[in-house]
Amino acid sequence: MPSPNDRAKGEHKNESHKVGRRDFIAIAGAGLTLGFFFEAVPRVAEAQIAGPPKNTQVNSWLNISSGGVVTLTVGSSEMGQGSFSGLAQILAEDLMVDYTTIQTVQGVPATGAAAVGNSIGTFGSSVTQSNYWTMRTAGAAAREMLVSAAMNIIGDQSRANYTVSNSVITYTPTNTNIKYSLVAAAAAKLPVPANPPLIPDSQFRYIGKTVNRVDIPSKVNGSAIFGIDVRLPNMVYAVIQHSPVFGGVLNGAVPATPAGMIAVVPTQVVAGTGRGTETTGMVNAVAVVGPNTWDTWQAALNLPVSWTTPANASTLNDAVFLAEATNAFTTNTPYSPSGPNVAPTLYTVEGNVAAANAAISGAAKAIGRFYTLPYVPHNQLEPLNCTVNYVPGVSCDVYVPTQVASSVLALVNQMTGLPESQIHVHTTYLGGALGRRIETDFVSQALQVAIAVGKPVMLLWPREQNFLRDQYRPLAMVNVKAGLDSNNNVVGWSYTNVSASILGQRGYPVGAIGDSQATEGSTSLPYKLGALSTQWITHPSPIPVGFWRSVGMSVNTFAVESAIDELAALAGADPYLFRLGLLTDARWIGVLEAVATLSNWTAGPAAGHSFGIAICAYASSYVAEVVDISNVTANSVTVNNVWVALDCYLAVNPGQIQAQLMGGVAHGLNAFLYGRQSFVNGAAQNPNYHNNPVVKITEMPTVTVTLIPNPAQSTFNARLGGVGELGVPPLAPALANAYFKATGNRVLTLPLFPNYVMPGLPNPGPA
Amino acid sequence: MSTTFTLNVNGQNHTVTVNNPAMPLLWVLRDLLNLTGTKYGCGHNYCGACTVLVNNIQIRSCQNAAESFVGQSIVTIEGLSPTSSHPAQLAWIANQVPQCGYCQSGQLMCAAGALGAGNHGAAIVPFLQNICICGTYQRILQAVETL
Repeated sequence: MPSPNDRAKGEHKNESHKVGRRDFIAIAGAGLTLGFFFEAVPRVAEAQIAGPPKNTQVNSWLNISSGGVVTLTVGSSEMGQGSFSGLAQILAEDLMVDYTTIQTVQGVPATGAAAVGNSIGTFGSSVTQSNYWTMRTAGAAAREMLVSAAMNIIGDQSRANYTVSNSVITYTPTNTNIKYSLVAAAAAKLPVPANPPLIPDSQFRYIGKTVNRVDIPSKVNGSAIFGIDVRLPNMVYAVIQHSPVFGGVLNGAVPATPAGMIAVVPTQVVAGTGRGTETTGMVNAVAVVGPNTWDTWQAALNLPVSWTTPANASTLNDAVFLAEATNAFTTNTPYSPSGPNVAPTLYTVEGNVAAANAAISGAAKAIGRFYTLPYVPHNQLEPLNCTVNYVPGVSCDVYVPTQVASSVLALVNQMTGLPESQIHVHTTYLGGALGRRIETDFVSQALQVAIAVGKPVMLLWPREQNFLRDQYRPLAMVNVKAGLDSNNNVVGWSYTNVSASILGQRGYPVGAIGDSQATEGSTSLPYKLGALSTQWITHPSPIPVGFWRSVGMSVNTFAVESAIDELAALAGADPYLFRLGLLTDARWIGVLEAVATLSNWTAGPAAGHSFGIAICAYASSYVAEVVDISNVTANSVTVNNVWVALDCYLAVNPGQIQAQLMGGVAHGLNAFLYGRQSFVNGAAQNPNYHNNPVVKITEMPTVTVTLIPNPAQSTFNARLGGVGELGVPPLAPALANAYFKATGNRVLTLPLFPNYVMPGLPNPGPA
Repeated sequence: MSTTFTLNVNGQNHTVTVNNPAMPLLWVLRDLLNLTGTKYGCGHNYCGACTVLVNNIQIRSCQNAAESFVGQSIVTIEGLSPTSSHPAQLAWIANQVPQCGYCQSGQLMCAAGALGAGNHGAAIVPFLQNICICGTYQRILQAVETL
C-alpha cells in the first residue's frame, strides 16, 4: 500500500492549477453570488481548445438568495456521470448546508451576469477531479462572507464566538441564530476572503460518502429533458441524410420538396467541423424539414437524391486501410519541425529505437507482436440532435445535448455573426455521449436548416446516420517487440503505434512527440523495461476519427498489457507477480495488490474459469482489473466477474465511482467483443445495433470495486484522479489475457466476435 | 391520406390525426401527444428504449402503427404512477440505477410489466432484454431483486 509520502509525491506531478483568491468574483445581484472559473482538463488542454483561465472569466457560480435558496450553476454537462451531484456534494461540505437542499442548474456559456464565461468541457474524466478544490474553496469563502456579515450585525468581530451548521450561524455567547438568508445580501458587499479555512477531512459529512444523485428522480418518471425531448412553439422537424460514401457530395439539383413537407435543405460542412474527407463547403448531406419526426424521416428515406462518388472511393476499404497501416511501419518520413509531415510520419515519442532494438536483438528471449484494432463507432443511445430557434439579427437559442457548450457558442457566433450576448446555448441532459458530443457538426447542420426555413427546428440524425457517419476511434496497428535476459529481466521494449491523428484532423498542430490522443497509455510506462522506444506513425485516415471514452488509452493499454502478459508467459511467471516485480511506484503497486486481493488471485479461479489481469493510469488515477471468464467457444465467451481497484486519491462519492467503473467495464466489453465499423468503397456497412451489438443484462459480468482509501487528511490543491474513463482501458487486455489462459491463444485482433448479430427484441405487437 | 383515431393513453382518451396511417405509436406519443418520456433509440426493435405497456404487455412502440392500438390500454412512463412511486420507480431510486438515463424509461416499463403480470425478483430478469450503454445492468438486477 502506498504511504502518505508516496501519495504526496505522486499527486503533485500533475498539478496544473491552484485555487487562489483571484479565482472568485463577487457578482452584484440578489443575495450573495460568487462566480468562479472551472477547469476543463486534460483533453481540452491538450487539444488547445481553451486557453488558460483568465481571472475575469466566470463559468460557474454559487448563489445564496435572501430567500435562503442555495443554487449552484454549473457549466459542465450531465451525461450520466453524476458530476452535478458530485460538485454539489463538495460545495455542501464547506458551505455548511444540507446537500439535498442545493439546487443545481445547468449553466449557459456567456451570460450577462459577469464577464464572458466559458463552459466546462465535459470529457477527459475531468469535471470532479479538476474542480474539487475550487468547489471547496468557493463554499468556504461564501461561508466566511456570511459569517462576517453576521458579525457586523452582532457587533462582535471574534470569529471564535461563531459556529455554523446547516445554513445557520450561531453566536455562541448568547446562542443567537442567524440564518444565511438574513445576511446573504449584506455578505455580497463584503470582500472575498483570501484563504478561507476548509473543513478538516475528519469532519466530512458528505465527501467520501455515497449520496443520492440529484438527477435520478427525473430519470425514472420520464420528466428528464434530453435534447430530443425539446419542444418549442411552432417547431418543425428536420431529418438528415448524408452521402452514404465519405467524400460524396450532392449530385445535381436539390430535390423538390416532397408532398406534405416544408423544405429540403442541403447542408454543407462548416469550417472547423469537417474531419477526414469532409472539407469545408462540401454539401455532404440534405435535411428534409416537415411537421413531425416520423413523416419527415420517411420523406428523407424516400427522397430522390443523388450523390457523387469520389474518385478514391474504391480505396476506402478495410483491406486498404490495414495495408496502409502495415506499410507505414516500414515506409514513413521522420517528423520535421518545418513540416509538412504528411502521413505516414514517424514521431519519436520516447526513448531511442536503435538502443531498444539492439537490446532486444541481444536478449535471451523475445516477443514480437502486431495488434490490430478497427475503427470503432460511438454507440450513445440518444441519437444526435440539436434544436435551434434563430431570429436573424436578434437572437439564437440552441438547445443541444453537448459536451462542450462553449464550442457551440463559438460556432453559432461564427455562423451568424451575432454577438455572444445574443446567443443562448441551453445544454440539455445527454443520453450518453462517449466523446461524440464534443463535436459540433450536427449543430452546424441544425443552424443551417434554421436559417433556411426561418422557424424553430429540431434536427435529428436517425440511428443509422449515427453509426454510418461517425467520427470513429481510430483504426490502429501496434507493433510491440520486447526481450528478456536469462534472468527474465526485461532488457528492451520497442513500441510502435500506427494510427490517425485526432488532433491533426481538427487542425491542431502536432509537435515532435506526436498527438497525445494517440500516444496516451504508451508513454511513461511504470515498468522496468530496460532500453525502451516509443514511436507513433500517422495513418493517412480519410475516415473521420474522434474522441471516444478513453480513446488512445484503450488502444495502447490493450497492446501494452497484452505484451506484458506475454512476457510473463515467456518468463514462466505468474502475470500478477511478474508485473509486481517490474513496478516501483507505490500507487501502481497499490492498485495491483488491491485487485489481486479483491479477486483472490492467488487462490485462483473456480474450476473451468480463467483469470486475466491488466493495469493502467490516466487522469491522475490508477486502476487495475481482473477478469474472470469461462465457456470459451469460437463464437462466445462468458464473462463472469470483473474486479476493479481504483486509486483516485480522494473518492468523493464511492457509489457513483462504482457506477462509473461499471459503465467503463460495459463500454470496454462492448468494444472488445463487438466494436468495429467496416467500410466498402467509402460506405460504412453497419447501420444499427444489430450489427453494432452490445452486451445485455444476462451477459454483463458482476463488477466488484475496491477503492484505495482516502487520505486521513488530504493536501490542499493536491490533484484528484478522474474516474469516468478509467474502467475502460484495462478491460480489453485483462479479458484477452484471460482468453490466453483459457485457450493458449493470444487475442491480436479486435473485436473478438466481429460477425455477431444481435437478435431483435420480443414484440408481440397489438392484441 | 390522413386518418383520425382515439387512443387510450395513461387512462385518458386522446384523439389524434396522422398524415400517414403507418406512423408508429412511438412518434404519436412523442410528437403528437408530447409524451417524450418514451424514447427513440434504434427504430428497429433492437434497443427497447421505446418500450410501453399495452394491456400490461411490453410493446416496442417504434414497431407498430399507433392506429393498431385503438381500443387498447396504453401506459407510458408518465402514467406509471402519478407520484413517481411505482415500486419499480422506488427500487430504481433506492438502487441509484440511472446514469445517462436515456434507456431507463424502457427498462422501467419492462420491469413494471413483468411485475404487473405477477413476476417477482429473478423472475423479472427474462423480461429485461433492453440495452443499456452506460452499464447500469448490475444495479437494475439489484433493483428487481427487491420487487
